[in-house]
Amino acid sequence: MAIEPYRRIDVSKQGTTEIAKFKDKKILDETALDELRVELLRLINDRQGLDLLLHFGNVEFMSSAVLGLLGQIHRKMGTLKGKLKMCNIHPQIYEVFKLTNLNKLFAIHKDEAEALSKF
Amino acid sequence: MDASPAAGSSAAPPRRCVDVLIAEDSRIQAKMLEKRLQDAGHSVRWAIDGAKALEMVGQRRPEIIISDIEMPEMNGYEFCKAVKSDPGLRTIPLILLSSLSDPVDIIRGLEAGADNYVTKPYEPDYLLGRMDSLLASPLSEEAEVVGGDMEVTVAGQKFRVKAGKQQTLNLLVSIFENAVTKNQELITTNQSLSVAKDNLQKSNAELTRMNEQIERSNKRMVRDLHAAAKVQQSLLPASAITVPGSTVAWRYVPCQELAGDFLNFFPLDDEHIGLFVVDVSGHGVPSSLLAVTVGAFLNPKVSDTSILVRPGKDGAGPVVVPPAEVATQLNNLFQADNQAGLYFTMVYAVLHTPTGRVRFVSGGHPPLLHVPKDGELKLIEVEGFPIGFVPDITFDEHSLQLQPGDRLYLYSDGVPEAMSEALDQLGNDRMLEFVGGRRAKSVDDNVADLLQTVQDWCQPKGPLDDVSILGVEWHG
Repeated sequence: MAIEPYRRIDVSKQGTTEIAKFKDKKILDETALDELRVELLRLINDRQGLDLLLHFGNVEFMSSAVLGLLGQIHRKMGTLKGKLKMCNIHPQIYEVFKLTNLNKLFAIHKDEAEALSKF
Repeated sequence: MDASPAAGSSAAPPRRCVDVLIAEDSRIQAKMLEKRLQDAGHSVRWAIDGAKALEMVGQRRPEIIISDIEMPEMNGYEFCKAVKSDPGLRTIPLILLSSLSDPVDIIRGLEAGADNYVTKPYEPDYLLGRMDSLLASPLSEEAEVVGGDMEVTVAGQKFRVKAGKQQTLNLLVSIFENAVTKNQELITTNQSLSVAKDNLQKSNAELTRMNEQIERSNKRMVRDLHAAAKVQQSLLPASAITVPGSTVAWRYVPCQELAGDFLNFFPLDDEHIGLFVVDVSGHGVPSSLLAVTVGAFLNPKVSDTSILVRPGKDGAGPVVVPPAEVATQLNNLFQADNQAGLYFTMVYAVLHTPTGRVRFVSGGHPPLLHVPKDGELKLIEVEGFPIGFVPDITFDEHSLQLQPGDRLYLYSDGVPEAMSEALDQLGNDRMLEFVGGRRAKSVDDNVADLLQTVQDWCQPKGPLDDVSILGVEWHG
């Protein structure tokens, strides 16, 4: 029987890429962030050797603390030799990436198809 | 205890096994009753309604009948009446299962000639007891029938009761017994309620005690928070501090008790002023602890381990550490993975007071705002990742030349990203327009007014982020 182990993300697979789509519209409070952290780190540890695409299609608001989590994922993927990309980032959220220069650190793509073609 | 008075079922002879007919339209109820009767040794037949039951009575005479009242084809009263008006069948004891919700039910039972009532829901043992006592005192074939003319009026309805004396008496006694049983149940329920009430009172007292404890803990935490906030405030610039050739003004408003923002400025030596604004991700205790720690690191005390000013070699004056090197060192010291995932943005600027030259570094922080004495305002955006985000990187130094009377503002994202009730951000354009329009006022007034603008913009809830503003005017 298939068990859905993730509450904060929808996980699917395309070739050698795991796609984690954030379920929440708002990622603001510490609880949501901590749960996301646990789930994403578990996903990375469970699927070592795979690339990861973080899909922001549902997210309309997020606190800047989420960037900290993305940094953690970025470093972790680096040590595991997997590639990390992000897609479908809401324009207002993208502004936060720009402001902190993190748009230059992360590989950010318009949509899922474009991101998957660049792995 | 064998000397009990001969009363009710306690005087009944040992149970004998009889042929029982059940009339009941609920399959589940019927099955449950059938099982219970079979367990007691009786043989059982079941009819789904009165009509079917009457047919089965005709096929083989049962020794006792138990009938429900509400049934689709021929209800319990009609079925009972049919049995009791048949001279060949009328001596078969018949128990009606009734909800007895209305006094008229009793009369209807009498009218139909029922021998006994058992109130639903019933205890199986109680029903077996009723059966035993009915079987122990059967109606004789000769039992007299009251002339068929006894008229009773209940609730405005007239009923003709045909039951014989003994039958009437049996029925009434069964109703009384029923009432006594129900009363007993009520007393037991009342006692349970009383016990439950006692328990509830005890739980309530316990709850009150726990609430008081929570309140005490809460008060202690609030006290601790206030104390921590005071420590944080004490690290902010002293109001009396003066810097050569310049005026510095600042405002700092945490959105909660403790801030993730921090700012400070200080003379680094006779010719340099250091200014910084730090914004740690998140809010609350963890973020403010990191903000305070970073703030404590960034102090101008000259020492070999200082990251801002080091003693000069061979008796020379102290050496101001270049801003980019400061950021690089902080990045090495405060990697987010070692700080519970927390990182911070920072702008650190060093103003050379004799020349008005500013050297600065930005780690993912909002741009500096340069307000010339005359001319166009400028946001100075430079690149640099937040501190703690990427290990082992170096930061670039940038510079800027001030003219006498020029002002420079360092601020946290709480200013441009201030959110109105309609979720509209204050934004850079409005911030520039506001500051540009008030150049005639002092730098202190400008900083105070900008804070007021942010607070007004966020009405009625107030800012959701810490607000830090640091402004410096170089006199030349």
